[in-house]
Amino acid sequence: MELLKVSNVKKIYNMKLRMQQCVALNHVSFDVSEGEFVAIMGPSGSGKTTLLNIIASLDRATEGDVMLDGKSFSSIRDRELSEFRRKHLGFVFQDFNLLDTFSLKDNILLPLVLSQTPIAEMERRIVPVAKMLGIEKLLAKYPYEVSGGEKQRAAVARAVITEPRLILADEPTGALDSKSSANLLGNFHALNIEGKTILMVTHSAFAASYASRVLFIRDGEIFSQIYRGDNDNHAFFERIVANLSVLSDGGADIA
Amino acid sequence: MLKAFYLRLALSNIRRNRKTFFPYILTTAIISGVFLLIGGLMLSDGLANIPTGATATMLFNFGLVVFGIFAFFFMIYINNFLIGRRKREFGLYGILGLEKRHVARVLVWENLLTLGAGVICGIIIALVFGRLLFLVLIKMIRAVPGSVFYIAPSAYTIMLVLFLSIFVITSLLNLRQVRVSSPIELMSSEKKGEKDSKLMIPITILGAICLGAAYYYAWSIVQPGTALGVFFLLAILVIIATHILFTSGSIATLRALRANKRLYYKPRNFIAISGMFQRMRQNAKSLATICVLSTMLIVTVAGTLSLYLGQEEMLSGMHPYDINVRIGKDAEEQAVRDFESAIMVLAQENGVTLSADKNKLTYQEPDELLNRNNYVSPDAKWVDTPNLIYFDGGMRFDVDGSDETCLAFVSSLRTLTSRTFPDNRPFVSDIFSARQEGYALYGGLLFLGAFFGILFLAVTVLIIYFKQISEGYEDKTQFVILQKVGMDDKQVKATINRQVLWVFFIPLGMTNVHMVFASKIMARMLQTFMLYDWGLVLSCIGGVCAVFVLLYLTVYRLTAKIYYRIVKW
Repeated sequence: MELLKVSNVKKIYNMKLRMQQCVALNHVSFDVSEGEFVAIMGPSGSGKTTLLNIIASLDRATEGDVMLDGKSFSSIRDRELSEFRRKHLGFVFQDFNLLDTFSLKDNILLPLVLSQTPIAEMERRIVPVAKMLGIEKLLAKYPYEVSGGEKQRAAVARAVITEPRLILADEPTGALDSKSSANLLGNFHALNIEGKTILMVTHSAFAASYASRVLFIRDGEIFSQIYRGDNDNHAFFERIVANLSVLSDGGADIA
Repeated sequence: MLKAFYLRLALSNIRRNRKTFFPYILTTAIISGVFLLIGGLMLSDGLANIPTGATATMLFNFGLVVFGIFAFFFMIYINNFLIGRRKREFGLYGILGLEKRHVARVLVWENLLTLGAGVICGIIIALVFGRLLFLVLIKMIRAVPGSVFYIAPSAYTIMLVLFLSIFVITSLLNLRQVRVSSPIELMSSEKKGEKDSKLMIPITILGAICLGAAYYYAWSIVQPGTALGVFFLLAILVIIATHILFTSGSIATLRALRANKRLYYKPRNFIAISGMFQRMRQNAKSLATICVLSTMLIVTVAGTLSLYLGQEEMLSGMHPYDINVRIGKDAEEQAVRDFESAIMVLAQENGVTLSADKNKLTYQEPDELLNRNNYVSPDAKWVDTPNLIYFDGGMRFDVDGSDETCLAFVSSLRTLTSRTFPDNRPFVSDIFSARQEGYALYGGLLFLGAFFGILFLAVTVLIIYFKQISEGYEDKTQFVILQKVGMDDKQVKATINRQVLWVFFIPLGMTNVHMVFASKIMARMLQTFMLYDWGLVLSCIGGVCAVFVLLYLTVYRLTAKIYYRIVKW
């Protein structure tokens, strides 16, 4: 079943100074099925983040539409967008975006508080999430008191505690060392096995090798995609790297 | 060559950070300008030529010293406040390869340039507005015409010495700031979270007790003499209590709110309470300072204003009859009658008319402090005189005429009296010279009060301004995160607005509470100056409070614009 349907999305930025238009995304179409773990890769400036922002409903497409669970984004009014985001989407960012004014626990509970969940319900929900991510002992600490990896796991907890239909991750391993990265990706994998749908934008072939499918994007268009099939992580990694070298033939630079 | 490099770096720093440096220079200018004016008035003989100048000059003398001390500490406080914010920048210099001594040189240049510019502007302010303020002063103290305005050269010297010492001290403090820590420490210094002290709750309770005791004591004092004696002690107690309550008290309160889960986990309160934690941790000290400064401002201005406006009240309180000539109780009846006719002749010569209304006499015993000349004790010794009133060794009467003729009359009356009764140590107490003295004293006081008001206000406004800027930068990141997590921008704006309002209006509210409790002790204190008019004192306090609130709101509105420009949502 298709959970997310991106059809013919085009995004044009009007440059302020020059009277020029910049096409960030052009005719991007793809579907994500329920339970998939999709990675989107592409060089800097290829439009990955723009695409993610549109899927995240933080930005609107110039043309085309995005549908989640059959509901078209263009049909949602501006006022309802943030509520929609809170209910259906979970976010993980490269720079964690935790609030220093809250303890980890309160950071994780933030979306639930915003949707006025009863206290008992919140207390009940946080236990399994924190346990799965291995941060149950850190809940009382503040973001500035824990490591980057721990912060990111708290951010993941915040993303999943609302039981969203889709988890969006923007370079989640970008600010982490390799051990914390592996750890976090393990968490994503576990979430995926539980049935969560994940869409992750990344630079790193290693991070992408945890996904079940990788989309390659270049100059605002989908360039190619590969499925994991029966490959293990290592074999899939090799294939991703091979694909990246094809992608960068045109001179594009991939980390 | 190399020197010019540091100078250029300092100049470009000032240009780049003009948002903070410009107000700093302006404040320096105001403080130095006002200081120069007070000093100039005190040291110039323009005022000393005036008959009443002696009182005013002495007052200004004292005022100058106190003002200098305040200015000194304020400048150091503001400097520390600013330099604390720039630690990251110094860390960056270190990483870019500037040695600490190089950074130090840049800082000294910056300090020299800003203070120098401020002082030069201050001199210009003093020269431009000085004449105007001088005219106002002359009018307020009702000095006779002929006073000239000029700033004595020695005033420049004193002002320069003061600001030179401020320069030396602040430079040393800034150097220490750079010297003590490594680049990494400096870079990360802004992000460190603060641990709350374990003694927070006991300290808060102590602060509350201090404040309560001070309030209670201030409210219950009856004796004017006691009020004057303990006022400064109570003021210090209140200042300490204010600081404690703003720092520990606010955090303890917020903690208690956070512990109440039903309250805390409501969308509105959730963001607000945790946001206030951060704000109070960072701002408590400067908010307490704003509160203390505002209170000082209102007390000073309202007190001096009451005295100035209450003068006629005080004068007629002390002098129900315009003149009381005391010639000693054992004067012969005939001598008294002769003296009366001599006075009548003198009045005619001076072109004034005398009268004595017996209805003003009273048998009511006055308060211990008042020695009203219309009080008649039951065993008073009377001498019947046809025109004026005489009993118990005092000749009492009212005078009608212009101020100048009355003063001339009083002075010839003095000569007459001492010639007539050389052995009785006679004494003429009159409302006219008292009025002249009074205007010099209270006019000078009000003038000084206004200057102190300007000083406190300048510092308060500066602190508010810097708060807005720093809050703006911090809120910007918070705003972005909250939006990403699923709050709509209206909600975010509303909650942040509310927090900012709280931060700015807690000090204002506290100031007004302080003033409520200070009003009674202030009225008592003013009684030592014979000012018994409660209504006047209260309306002065109320009026000054109202004007201050308006001023505060205006400053808030203006600085809020800068805040929104930074946050730019």
